[in-house]
Amino acid sequence: MSVWEWIRLLLGGALLLCGLLIFLIEMYGVFRLKYVLNRMHAAALGDTLGITCSMAGLMLLSGFHFSTLKMAMVVLFLWLTSPVSSHLLARLEAGTNEELGDHCEIYEELKVLEAELQEQREASMQSETPDEEEKE
Amino acid sequence: MSKLKPQKEYEKTRSFRFQRWLGGSRDPYVGQVEMQPQTPVELPELTIRERLRDSQAVRDKVYDIENNKKLNLFRRIYVLAAIVYCAGLAVILLAMVASLPPTGEANRPVNNEVSARYIENGLQETGAVNIVTGMILDYRAFDTFGESNVLFAATTTVLILLHMKKKKNKEGKVEEIESDRLLEPKQDAILQASATVLVPIIILFGIYVILNGHLSPGGGFSGGAIIGAGLILYLSAFGFEKAKKLFTEKLYKGVSFAALTTYCLAKSYSFFTGANHLESHIPLGTPGAILSSGLILLLNICVGMVVACTMYTFYVMFRKGDF
Amino acid sequence: MEKEVSLFLQAQRGLFLVILIVLGLLFFAALVRAVKGPRVADRLVAVNMIGTMVMVMIAILSLYWQEEYLLDICLIYAMASFLAVIVLSKVYIGIYEEQHSEEEKRTKTDSRKEDKSV
Repeated sequence: MSVWEWIRLLLGGALLLCGLLIFLIEMYGVFRLKYVLNRMHAAALGDTLGITCSMAGLMLLSGFHFSTLKMAMVVLFLWLTSPVSSHLLARLEAGTNEELGDHCEIYEELKVLEAELQEQREASMQSETPDEEEKE
Repeated sequence: MSKLKPQKEYEKTRSFRFQRWLGGSRDPYVGQVEMQPQTPVELPELTIRERLRDSQAVRDKVYDIENNKKLNLFRRIYVLAAIVYCAGLAVILLAMVASLPPTGEANRPVNNEVSARYIENGLQETGAVNIVTGMILDYRAFDTFGESNVLFAATTTVLILLHMKKKKNKEGKVEEIESDRLLEPKQDAILQASATVLVPIIILFGIYVILNGHLSPGGGFSGGAIIGAGLILYLSAFGFEKAKKLFTEKLYKGVSFAALTTYCLAKSYSFFTGANHLESHIPLGTPGAILSSGLILLLNICVGMVVACTMYTFYVMFRKGDF
Repeated sequence: MEKEVSLFLQAQRGLFLVILIVLGLLFFAALVRAVKGPRVADRLVAVNMIGTMVMVMIAILSLYWQEEYLLDICLIYAMASFLAVIVLSKVYIGIYEEQHSEEEKRTKTDSRKEDKSV
């Protein structure tokens, strides 16, 4: 009986230490990489593999409880939401940085799309400006 | 309501004359007192130009940011002063915490008869396994009622100050004031796809936390906050038009009013029975089951609904100004 | 009454303590990145990382003290950090677009005034 418990402790502890190692790698990556979009690659490590290994270790250490199911739910929730956060952050960064061409390649299709967006913005602003001209 | 008087009749009454005197729209001396003939004051152009120049000079001096001595001094010592202030505050607070009496000591003001009675007889008298919920919703139900009313008052204040109904143009079109809210990214496909999965999960989790108030930590306040957060996620993902159909002003008014009235009616019998501790004859049930502990479940639900409405209303009012 | 704490429990608690301390130090490191980061997205990424690490810490503490309800708090933390990132990024994009359109309008009226004066 106690041998099984020790095996459980060892496995759970090993998985937990793996998770800690992944968090350390993530931290090192966030400090070493140069641009935000690169740092997001490193930060996503913690959200997916880091917390999975840690929670798997904790699930082994806690045994068959209701709380084990709750930990699995936490991991699932994080798997669902972390990519969406990364997507929105990348959109923020790519949409507001004017010197994006210095850091990464912008494809030709994107330039065409941006030109179309610019035309749409100008068209909507021109439809508004007749009011301003009348006031002037 | 009284009928409107025609204007000519109203001008003969005393109240009109009183209001006119109060407002000062008519000079009481003109036509009543012997005066020299009055001529309007004519300022020569030189004085007008001088006055304009003086006021402009004052404005330039006041709004001159670069040469303002006090502002420059402030900027130089700001970082140092901020660090010193924060460190000082931290030291004071830590010293205060360190000088508190250790927990469990008999002389501590917290360990008096009231708390002992609550802890010993809490489970028996309220039926709630979670003593804290039993205390705030059974022994001290009026305090929680006051808290819910404070939330309601806060939301009403925000509604009065920030509610902007849309004005219509001469042509009948609705005017949109250009703000950052109009230009934010909408119809993000990834966000919408994940929100269709996540919003029901979050709201379900919020309901679970509310219903579990008397069995495990949670209760109305935290559960209501979670439901509010779920509604905010729905709003962020799907835009204001769709969210308007989900949560209208009528819904807000109805839900808050119904929840607070239910709470009030459930606990206001003690105005008539006094402090004789006559219970409402709702059975306490077995502790540990969901349907136990009398009225606590109902009150948790009421509080949860008020908190959820409050959170969503605050977000919408600060972001948009309209439901 | 002295309780004999078994070796097993001591080992488990020691492991938890070590991991909690290291995660706490990583927390401060992420805070440094949040203060230093030149762009707004840097700070949001750092806050997201802090949230994830705090979630692991709460889960470890719930096993340390054998209190089950702390895992509810874990789930709420995940939800709160996700919501924060979404709402903040939308607000920032909106503010940037607003400033951008104001500047464009200003440059356009300037160019129009120049044309008129010429």
